[in-house]
Amino acid sequence: MVRRFKAPITRKGAGFRVNLDADELELLSRLLSELRTLLLGPSTDDRLKRLFPTAYHQPGDSEMDDEYQRLMREDLVASRLSGINAVEAALENVGGRPGAKHVPELTESQLLAFMQAINGLRLVLGTMLDVSEEHDLDQVEADHPLIGEFHLYGYLSWVLESCVAALQG
Amino acid sequence: MASAPTPLVVDRPDQDESVVPDTPWVVLVWNDPINLMSYVTFVLQKLFGYSLEKATAMMLDVHHKGRAVVANGAREKAELDVFRLHEHGLWATMQRDGT
Repeated sequence: MVRRFKAPITRKGAGFRVNLDADELELLSRLLSELRTLLLGPSTDDRLKRLFPTAYHQPGDSEMDDEYQRLMREDLVASRLSGINAVEAALENVGGRPGAKHVPELTESQLLAFMQAINGLRLVLGTMLDVSEEHDLDQVEADHPLIGEFHLYGYLSWVLESCVAALQG
Repeated sequence: MASAPTPLVVDRPDQDESVVPDTPWVVLVWNDPINLMSYVTFVLQKLFGYSLEKATAMMLDVHHKGRAVVANGAREKAELDVFRLHEHGLWATMQRDGT
């Protein structure tokens, strides 16, 4: 993956520019759609476990946690789905047109939704890849069966880092 | 938002609940290998209005000590804080203060 010098997200006035090309936007849109499918699928899917953590972790509080999961899980799913919808609506009409020169712009609230969606994807991928704190893409063998996912994870981390920098800048 | 006063129907709490003082709870964020340090700092600033310095110090506590208290309050408030942290993908839990 070629890393350009231009950050993927840059501030422009009150909004933000998304400096990603059509292929990248297409990729993100496909990933978001996969995340939606995953969120709407069985809640027991292991890939989702980091999206729905335990709330009451102490042993005696397991009943309260059951209640939290019962009441809040649906809200968490709804919140993630509405975020994905918001991102798709914001980026609509800009992906899938190779050579398109139009640079999409996002409002701050759209960028926040984008940031959360990207992090959701990282949580799923990071869980699948079982990344450790010392995770280093350069240490992954080139013939690792999940090498593509490792690169994707690194790419999403780079995009996320840029969202945070733009929002804090 | 101001409007004419309307009669209020008060739900009387059960006797046993009204005599038990509201136990304070603490909200913890745990270290995890996926969330970026910059992202954790930003989320703490955004959700709790902490300064960059305070949020960074909390994030570093999470990173080095494995966990940090990021908020506290009554159970309902703590649960809402946990929910908002979960919405942002942070590994947050809650427990009674002092336990």
